[in-house]
Amino acid sequence: MTISPPPALALQDISKRFGEVHANRGVNWTLRAGRIYALLGENGAGKSTLMSILAGRYQPDQGDILRQGRPVRFLSPAQALAAGIGMVYQRFMLVAPLTVAENILLRRGPIHLRGTREIRRIRELAERYGLAVNPRATVGTLSMGERQRVEILKLLYRRAKILIFDEPTAVLTHAEIENLFTVFRQLKNEGKTVVFITHKLEEVMAVADEIAVMRRGRMVSQLAAADVRSRHDLARLMVGREVILSVDKPPVAVGESVLQVRGLTGPGESPRPTFRDIAFDVRQGEILAITGVAGNGQEDLAAALAGLVRLTGGTLRFQERTFTAAQWRRRPSDRIAYIPEDRHRTGSVDAFSLVENFMLTRLDVFGTSLLVDRRRAAQATAEAVARFGIQGGGLRSQAGHLSGGNLQKLILARELSRRPALLIAEQPTQGLDIRATEDIWQALLRQRATAAVLLITGDLKEALSLADRIAVMFRGRILDIVSARDDGDIDRIKLLMAGLEDR
Amino acid sequence: MAWRIEKRSASFARSPAWVFPVSLAMAVAVGAGIFAALGVNPLTAYGVMLKGAAGSFFHVSEVVVRAIPLMLTGLAVALAATMLLWNIGCEGQLVWGGILAAGTGLYLAPHLPPFLVLPAVVAAGAVGGALWGLIPGLLKAYLAVNEILSSLLLNYIAIIVMEHLYFGPWRNPEGYGFPGTAQIAEAARIPHYFGTRIHLGLVLALVLAMVLYGALRLTRWGYRVRAIGLNPRAARYAGFGIRSQIVGVMLLSGALAGLAGMAEVSGIHYRLQQGLAVGYGYDGIIVAWLARLNPLAVPFVALLLGFLIVGGEQLQSVLHLPASISVVLEAVLLFGLLLSESLARYRLVRRETGRAVPAAGEEGA
Repeated sequence: MTISPPPALALQDISKRFGEVHANRGVNWTLRAGRIYALLGENGAGKSTLMSILAGRYQPDQGDILRQGRPVRFLSPAQALAAGIGMVYQRFMLVAPLTVAENILLRRGPIHLRGTREIRRIRELAERYGLAVNPRATVGTLSMGERQRVEILKLLYRRAKILIFDEPTAVLTHAEIENLFTVFRQLKNEGKTVVFITHKLEEVMAVADEIAVMRRGRMVSQLAAADVRSRHDLARLMVGREVILSVDKPPVAVGESVLQVRGLTGPGESPRPTFRDIAFDVRQGEILAITGVAGNGQEDLAAALAGLVRLTGGTLRFQERTFTAAQWRRRPSDRIAYIPEDRHRTGSVDAFSLVENFMLTRLDVFGTSLLVDRRRAAQATAEAVARFGIQGGGLRSQAGHLSGGNLQKLILARELSRRPALLIAEQPTQGLDIRATEDIWQALLRQRATAAVLLITGDLKEALSLADRIAVMFRGRILDIVSARDDGDIDRIKLLMAGLEDR
Repeated sequence: MAWRIEKRSASFARSPAWVFPVSLAMAVAVGAGIFAALGVNPLTAYGVMLKGAAGSFFHVSEVVVRAIPLMLTGLAVALAATMLLWNIGCEGQLVWGGILAAGTGLYLAPHLPPFLVLPAVVAAGAVGGALWGLIPGLLKAYLAVNEILSSLLLNYIAIIVMEHLYFGPWRNPEGYGFPGTAQIAEAARIPHYFGTRIHLGLVLALVLAMVLYGALRLTRWGYRVRAIGLNPRAARYAGFGIRSQIVGVMLLSGALAGLAGMAEVSGIHYRLQQGLAVGYGYDGIIVAWLARLNPLAVPFVALLLGFLIVGGEQLQSVLHLPASISVVLEAVLLFGLLLSESLARYRLVRRETGRAVPAAGEEGA
């Protein structure tokens, strides 16, 4: 026995699989009271899964959780909270029409049946931790920062000892971030444990005591913040030096500019639009990757170019024709193909057959002005199935039964069959296995012969493997566009993704 | 505790075939319980219903007569619901179909060449319903007003307008003060068949059921309707004009319900009067759901409901039971269907047994 008390929480050899994907593999981590932990890692590194296991939302396939030295097992978030572990999710779990106090007391019955004692306790907690918010205010009227404070109060009210935050700064303004960090320090002084997931290195340096880095489901590094010499070290730890899958990338003659955008600005209610002042050119024969950590505006940019999100400013030049932001509604949409990120919910109708899905964006081709030509659509689908090796059911089976890779190939085949001048592919290989990924990559590379390709991806490896140039987005702006050929620039891309402009 | 109930992952899976027979059996069983509670032998009661609704050719024909408006409103609801629109306003659309059909039969018919009278009456019925369906359609498409509320509330307006007409300006001057218009011209009455009250509405309903079925499956319009209903996000992604689609579908849905009103006026009552708005619009919702939105199933379900209505009336006249018993049976049938459908979304699985570790430490901190 040692003299020091057991750690507040210890994870031992935690593993979690979702189908074929190992989200966590043999993770060991020890959390102590009165410390602030930053958990770093790329998209899909397994951070959120690990935190959800801690918070009782998922159960590990393997491994133990020790709370103050005693093994525990949480079947629900309520049980985790009873053991003092609470989580603030990225999307707040609040009931907008109810008041702050009602939200905090939600699980304990209607508030009007209870006295002002509870309200007084909420006020006390709010004061003690610097969480300025009026308990009687309606949550729907609050800013994001205030809502987050309500979430924290919810946990504190239920006497949480370990507070977990999933990307807590993503929705906050600069001033609100400062505020949050003050709260973090106060929580620490009161002996609580704070864990937060982030992609932003300056935040780590500003507030964390301990840093843990995950990569591909494993805990690859744990160090004290005091030992970090430079942000560059941290960026490198986060992204790693993985071998880039070698993709055969035959050179293609670069042709004319297909899309040229200047000063493109998107919608947004928050203090800033989701993207702004976007400028780039993409020419036939080349792949321009737009990369960045999720939530930095690239999703909306892709949707806006595809006409699904309103543009509020800027100009676009597409194949010799110039459009203002408002005119983009009348773009020649048959020349632009879009592969959306969510292949199940946006790119396809899961209750439709393969053939019916193949018609989704091509109704004008498969049929007369009145009738649908199923025969021709079936023929084209059969050709696509053969050419792309789509497996998992006949033409008449429901698309929802296809695996992710096969569904993505079907969508890709459909969009390529439109012979677009511009192909916008958003996270085209997210969640796919290596074989499907390579098939999709090859198809995108082949497409350069006839089209300009805009690849929106959070996967740096994908961007480096496919793209000729890489634009890095951070907080809605393109920080820089760098050549993908130059090895020296890769480090810079990583820093740019973390928001570090070193010029 | 080795078993638990789990939601089936594939939400798009079709509900199994046993759902309808099971809900029917449930309805019969619950109905038997109600009869027993009322002190009537359930077998006697069901016997009376069967005899009264299917005992003779005339009785069967009355079931069909009741089923005709249900077929049309059932199709109206089914079409809208295929696109995730809840048209609760069929009652009002039916009423407007009746108003325009009656107006045409009363005031326009004398000025029309004889061969045009009937087509004009039928068209007027469809237009009346379509216009009343257009209002919630436009509100939904351009102002995002919930069509459930708007279409429902418009029912009351339609009924009041109709009452105003037959109590006021359109009242029959020779009607001895009875509320109702004069009878429409002979030429404005739709033909009857087999010496019964079965009328042209049946032909219309059956043809429209088949047309609708085909249109949803074979046309580009139908493809869009189904795609929007199954996945509005994907439909938006595909660039379907969802607004115009909403407006169009509400127009058509309203027209179908309007035809039901036209058929009631021009085939049964021959005038606008009390008794036009008796709930066929609302029953259409039940028909559509029991038919699981399949247009080809709608006529059969409508016949089943017509059977319940006629049978319920027999219970009243023979056994002196309240006629509303048929409404109760309808309701049980629908609940049985909804219950079985939601149960079908779950399955029983063995809980994977992990290592038994005591649940979270209750430290009461």
